[in-house]
Amino acid sequence: MSDESIYERLGATIIAGDKDKLLQAVEDALREGVTPSDIIEKGMSPGMKEVGERFTRYEIYLPEMMMAAEAWEYAMKFLEPKLLEAGTERKKVGRVVLGTVKGDVHSIGKTIVGAMLKMSGFEVFDLGVDVAASAFVTKAEEVEANIIAASALMSTTIPQQKSIIEHLEARGVRSKYCVLVGGGSTNQEWADSIGADGYGRTAGDATALALKAVSKG
Amino acid sequence: MISFATVVERAFTGPICTERDFELGIFVPNLRKVVEKYSIKYDPQHPVPADDDLADRVWAAAMEFLLETGVYCLDTERRILFTQEEIEGALETGPRGHVFGEGKDAKAMPRRFPEDKTPPWCSVGPTSSPVSSELYYVNLVKAHAENPLGDSITIPCLTHVDGQQIVGGSPLGVEGAIRAVLLTREGMRRAGRPGMPIVNGVTTATRAQEHIAAHHFGIRQTDALEIGTVHEMKIDFDSMNKVAYSLAAGSLIFAENGVILGGLAGGPAGVAVVIAAYNPVDLLLLRGAVQHPFPTHFDLGVTSTRDSIWARSLANQAVTRNSTLPVVNVGYSAAGPMTKMLLYEHSAWVIGSVVSGGSVEVGASARGTALDYTSPMDPLFGSEVAHAVAGMSRKEANGIVNALLEKYEDKLRDPPIGQKYQECYNVVSGKPNQEFIELYREVRREMVAQFGLPFKFTVLIPGGEFYS
Ligand code: B12
Repeated sequence: MSDESIYERLGATIIAGDKDKLLQAVEDALREGVTPSDIIEKGMSPGMKEVGERFTRYEIYLPEMMMAAEAWEYAMKFLEPKLLEAGTERKKVGRVVLGTVKGDVHSIGKTIVGAMLKMSGFEVFDLGVDVAASAFVTKAEEVEANIIAASALMSTTIPQQKSIIEHLEARGVRSKYCVLVGGGSTNQEWADSIGADGYGRTAGDATALALKAVSKG
Repeated sequence: MISFATVVERAFTGPICTERDFELGIFVPNLRKVVEKYSIKYDPQHPVPADDDLADRVWAAAMEFLLETGVYCLDTERRILFTQEEIEGALETGPRGHVFGEGKDAKAMPRRFPEDKTPPWCSVGPTSSPVSSELYYVNLVKAHAENPLGDSITIPCLTHVDGQQIVGGSPLGVEGAIRAVLLTREGMRRAGRPGMPIVNGVTTATRAQEHIAAHHFGIRQTDALEIGTVHEMKIDFDSMNKVAYSLAAGSLIFAENGVILGGLAGGPAGVAVVIAAYNPVDLLLLRGAVQHPFPTHFDLGVTSTRDSIWARSLANQAVTRNSTLPVVNVGYSAAGPMTKMLLYEHSAWVIGSVVSGGSVEVGASARGTALDYTSPMDPLFGSEVAHAVAGMSRKEANGIVNALLEKYEDKLRDPPIGQKYQECYNVVSGKPNQEFIELYREVRREMVAQFGLPFKFTVLIPGGEFYS
């Protein structure tokens, strides 16, 4: 099998969101002598990127994206020890702690943002919905995140985004994190007024902001 | 119909599974299977389909899907399953023809069929849009209540009490929800319609305790609490607590289903099936007097896209042909008040709904999320359109909806935001600006000239202006 067709197969199984077939493809690639880092960078990553692009073109929807992300994570569990063995620890794009704020159960926007971030290579810790301000901070400290992304959909829950920033300040760790806010009822003006580092209208914006934040270091 | 207590028991005893397994292991494959089996295919040329066989296939797919999938309870991480007999029993013995409202404002909600001449129920109001001042709040309610085609009212969300931003789940939330009800009652009294039913009680509230508190300050048995399933085919105890309370208090329930197009249900075909599947869930679990769906586009946050209108129209046909539970559709536009685009958007999904057997709630503008971007004119227009198309064929409606879509489809991503209530209305007198009245008239004339829409009434524009 040519390297090209090996990479193609890896990408295609990611796009199909088929974790078992992906793992099979990974094992076959290793057997053919492809390095773990090439499997990831030349096969799986382009597949993930393609999934994200198809989603923004409305060609696929949330389930396909969630399945691709799952397949990726499944294969990575297998590949990561191999990367370590080879002494080529993969550089991670960044870590994001994500959630919908306290009192708010609107989950879809948050889930889409999480999936899109994964497509761009971020490690995402999704705390779910109805998440206390302090829980965002505690998790971010625990996993040494770069970014805290908070979704809020209602006028009665956006104050919780402000609360996250206040909790960060109270613990003296505000400068360690890039705080991104979004969700229906938020806007740039609101983000500025609470001192957030960025506001995104769409999941695409969220990814662009997150990439910009980590590139600044 | 099995009792609510039986449903609650299932939430504690049903099969355990993780949320992830419910979503990707049960919901998605079950849905894909029935969409394929019953060959439900999206047809962009027909945003208002006119195929009864397709509608009945959607219904059959939905019942099979519901039977195999059930509803996931987030608090117990169990599936609430229903048998075929239970689903059929609910459909046979479920409520029909409930009376909403009191005194001279009381009215029975009709059951309608596709292409039915029966006038649709028209719910009017800001549809829970956020509003920043109590003065605006009262004046908005009053103006909506003055809409002679408005059968029920949906109230806005108050954002502040005494200068403090309302925080859901806190005492400010309790006070805000109570105040919202009192302000609404006062607004309706000023309009001379004290018995007009509130059907989205009590959306300033976010948690059950706030709904319950506010209920004690003026929600009546002939009003409805708005209680929703969670995306998708899920429920939490907070919503079930509202149901338990509402049953004890004897109030009605608007059972809302915010199906997301592009979410777990996938594309329009899956969305149509899931909306239909929610119909028995709204009876059995939410104990609804009405099904209240809003297929919202995942990226644009609106219900006026072509695929959303297709899914909604088809689901309305599926449901109204097969269930007695009336459907009151609610919609979100991209454009804001005092723009032509907003009137086109609302018209498009309203027409699709009404000719498909549904009733309507018009509706939120600017996605229902932008502070103060709401006006009483848009629901007035929407209800005029709704009455005008009752009895129209789906085929004719499809032509109109296609033409309307052409006017705005390409602007949904960057829509004109229009004007805030305080900009397009005089907030002291509560009357619209002349410019707004002119715009309303212009679009109304256009709808007559271009589509021959038979407007039935010489309608009172909020604020006192007559025209024909
Ligand atoms: C679907 C929906 C529901 C569903 C939610 C299901 C679920 N599991 O998520 C249900 C029915 C459960 C629901 C319940 C309620 N809802 Co609701 N809901 C909506 C609706 C129609 C769509 C939301 C949505 O999912 N959109 C699609 C997603 C993809 O968009 P999104 O979340 O905005 O996310 C995108 C971007 O914002 C961005 N993004 C999101 N998060 C983040 C984060 C970051 C960091 C970044 C950068 C970007 C970003 O990327 C996403 C993808 O592009 C909105 C109106 C609207 N048009 O938004 C009302 C709305 C938010 N709801 C509203 C209300 C009032 C309620 C209820 C109180 C009603 C009730 N009956 O009790 C309850 C509250 C429950 C609670 N405690 O949270 C109001 C809020 C008004 C206000 N006060 O401001 C709204 C605005 C509608 C309205 N006017 O009535 N709702």
